[in-house]
Amino acid sequence: MDLLAQLLVNGLVNGSHYALLGLSFGLIFGPTRITHFAHGPLATLAAYLGWWAAQRGLPIELALLTGIGAGACIGVLCYQFLYRPFERSGSPALVILIGSLGLYIVTENFIGAVFGTDTKVLASAPSHVFLLGPVVITMVQAMQMLALLTSSIALALFLGKTRFGRAVLAMNDNIEMARVVGIDTHRIALLVFGLGSALAACAALLILMRDGASSHMGFNLVFMGFVAVVVGGIGSLRGAVAGGYALGLVESLGMWKIPSEWQSSIAFVVLFLVLLLRPQGLFAGRQ
Amino acid sequence: MDYLFHILVSVALFSILATSFNLLIGYSGLFALSHAAFFGVGAYATAILTTQLGLGFPSPLLIGMLITAFVGIAIALPALRIGGDYLVIVSLALQMIVAAIMLNWTSLTGGTDGIRGIPRVVIAGWELNSAPRILPLAACCAAICFWISWKIGHSPYGRALKAMRENESAVLSVGKNVVAMKLSVFALAAALASVAGSLYAHYVTFVSAEGFTLDLTVYILAMVILGGTGNLWGSLLGAAILTALPELLKFLALAPDIADKTRQMLYGVILILILRIRPQGLIPESSTLTKAQDPGFRPDVGALVKAAKLEGKGLEKRFGGIVAVSGVDISIEPGRITGLIGPNGAGKTTAFNLLTGFLKPTAGEVRYRDRSLTGLKPHEIVRLGIARSFQDLRLFTRMSVIENVMVAMPRQSGDSLFQVFFNPWKVQREESEHLAKALAILEFVQLAHRASDIAADLSYAEEKLLVVARLMATEAEVLLFDEPLSGLSPDTLEQVFPIFRKLAASGRTLAIIEHNLDVIRSLCDSAIFLDEGKKFAHDRPEVLMNDPVLATRYFK
Repeated sequence: MDLLAQLLVNGLVNGSHYALLGLSFGLIFGPTRITHFAHGPLATLAAYLGWWAAQRGLPIELALLTGIGAGACIGVLCYQFLYRPFERSGSPALVILIGSLGLYIVTENFIGAVFGTDTKVLASAPSHVFLLGPVVITMVQAMQMLALLTSSIALALFLGKTRFGRAVLAMNDNIEMARVVGIDTHRIALLVFGLGSALAACAALLILMRDGASSHMGFNLVFMGFVAVVVGGIGSLRGAVAGGYALGLVESLGMWKIPSEWQSSIAFVVLFLVLLLRPQGLFAGRQ
Repeated sequence: MDYLFHILVSVALFSILATSFNLLIGYSGLFALSHAAFFGVGAYATAILTTQLGLGFPSPLLIGMLITAFVGIAIALPALRIGGDYLVIVSLALQMIVAAIMLNWTSLTGGTDGIRGIPRVVIAGWELNSAPRILPLAACCAAICFWISWKIGHSPYGRALKAMRENESAVLSVGKNVVAMKLSVFALAAALASVAGSLYAHYVTFVSAEGFTLDLTVYILAMVILGGTGNLWGSLLGAAILTALPELLKFLALAPDIADKTRQMLYGVILILILRIRPQGLIPESSTLTKAQDPGFRPDVGALVKAAKLEGKGLEKRFGGIVAVSGVDISIEPGRITGLIGPNGAGKTTAFNLLTGFLKPTAGEVRYRDRSLTGLKPHEIVRLGIARSFQDLRLFTRMSVIENVMVAMPRQSGDSLFQVFFNPWKVQREESEHLAKALAILEFVQLAHRASDIAADLSYAEEKLLVVARLMATEAEVLLFDEPLSGLSPDTLEQVFPIFRKLAASGRTLAIIEHNLDVIRSLCDSAIFLDEGKKFAHDRPEVLMNDPVLATRYFK
């Protein structure tokens, strides 16, 4: 029973991580319909910049902010200088996706070449541990859950209450109509790339503090975000969060009966089954 | 010297991977990022079969092809219902599952250690233990794989693949079995990739899961994109360039690790640059047919047929709570042109969808020649002689006009891969007949002068004519046209009317959806008035138009 409780908590922690990735990927994918594959490696790069800042002696809070800020800038630059030219020349979605895969490979190997392939750890990361009866939660795990909570509330307020936020939702619904009613879709695209990339950088920095960062962790960052979006139902950010938690819980509770080396495969099997049986996603529906 | 041979062996293996990948993404439009997994399964199959069962070449290669074909089908299953981004993600997931199996099924795959000591190929006592020795075998296999891919690409089956890439529902509407096509092309591309895997295992004598990652898939993708999608020669060129080019990096004195990363970055940069500068690749896709093959004779495509009445009884379609069509009885008589009119949202296109199996009725049934069509799939209904066109045309835009027509012809033995390879003469003879017939159809609709042009280059009126030609090519006796004349100028209309009249006069059953009442009046023998999903009248056009109740409904 204690084991099950611990697995449940681990599932919620990982679920928060996946949900944050799902939010970050879905926030970009929904309005722009760009399959931003380079999302993962770019977030990794942001985390590495945060690590580098900490190594140079910056206090950890500032280092994390540096990483998140760098992530937002990288995302905006990526849209403006990679995707925007493709869109302007009328490239089909597939071409943009392939271009994104190109940037994925470049970024991943750039990180490896510049920083090396060893695992980077943040020595100054908080290391408190909370004991709730038999269940153990580390400070960083708590921060992961908190990060999802605050960013989803902030995002919900932003999307629901502000002019820009409603423009994002309109574009998410129908990009052509958004243009017709006079929304500057270029600006909104830059905005969601900035916000989405900042969220992903946040998730990557939390992984840096929890497990350490490696040059090829970008794959998991983008892949789990994408899977959360697809499992939850494309076009819905609530679905992405629900999809992220579903993945985290299934993956973690599956460990109860399944050997741990297969843990990462559980999510893929879930994805496979969802697409086979319910391709519109488990929690499909407009927000 | 061995170094040069090593590069040549790599080119041979990668050309197998690039051409088979091109069949999937370039020809079929199935963008699945799992090619490295197919390659890996082939390599592991050979490694396991040789080291654990002691099998010798070529049986591990052949068994590996079979196993990998099944892995390919496993990816094709979700691809039956989904495409685009969904296929990307699900194929990646499958690649991850394959990698996890390679890493974790230790008793079979050696886990993280991989499998060492894979025996070399021995042919007639001659051990292929160096690059120069294995090169002839690798080159032979590459040539055979290329020939197979080329044969597929240039067969009627390959033409149907390209049409599927252009528009899946339109391929269904001309009677092709999309499910069978997707399953077979995935199985085939996977099996071909596994050939490269098997040779790789024999050549390197060691396999480990790290060799078969997404990076490798992107590398192969870069070859296909650089060379040009939909053109197999391009994939050969792409494989050669991207294998040889990174070798130049050897002249820069980089640490091995950095050199490897630089090489990967180079692929990424090349991929982005080629997409920006020349997205069609170095060798663009070309039409596989030329007019020079014109067989000269022309079959009579306007010949008399004895079509029958198409009937829908009590048709009803609900989408959730919304009733699109209810209690509609439709009867479309042979040898005449029946119009479907009514305001927007009246349920006209829904009625077509129900008649042709694109939608399943909630209630009611469709009958043709004393047979119920309920439960049949669209392509099966086309084969029974009932075909439809789409309001938004759905032409195969990146194929030539003549290919648009030929792909729609029924009973092509070249649609079967078995016939393509084991009965090539029959396929060839039929191709020539089909070409003649396609030209005759194009002459019938006055489009013969554009036969070898790409459909995307046609004018709007010409596109509409091609829709008619494609529908005729299905040899269906019942032709349902969804707004075939909308947006045409009065002059063009006068040219097009005779085509429809001739089709009806030849005994075919014709129905057209049309908004222009003048067109209905001058073309249709009778018309059905639909509104709000119900049938209000079926009578001669003049009678309908003089009915004040219908007029109010129409212009409300």
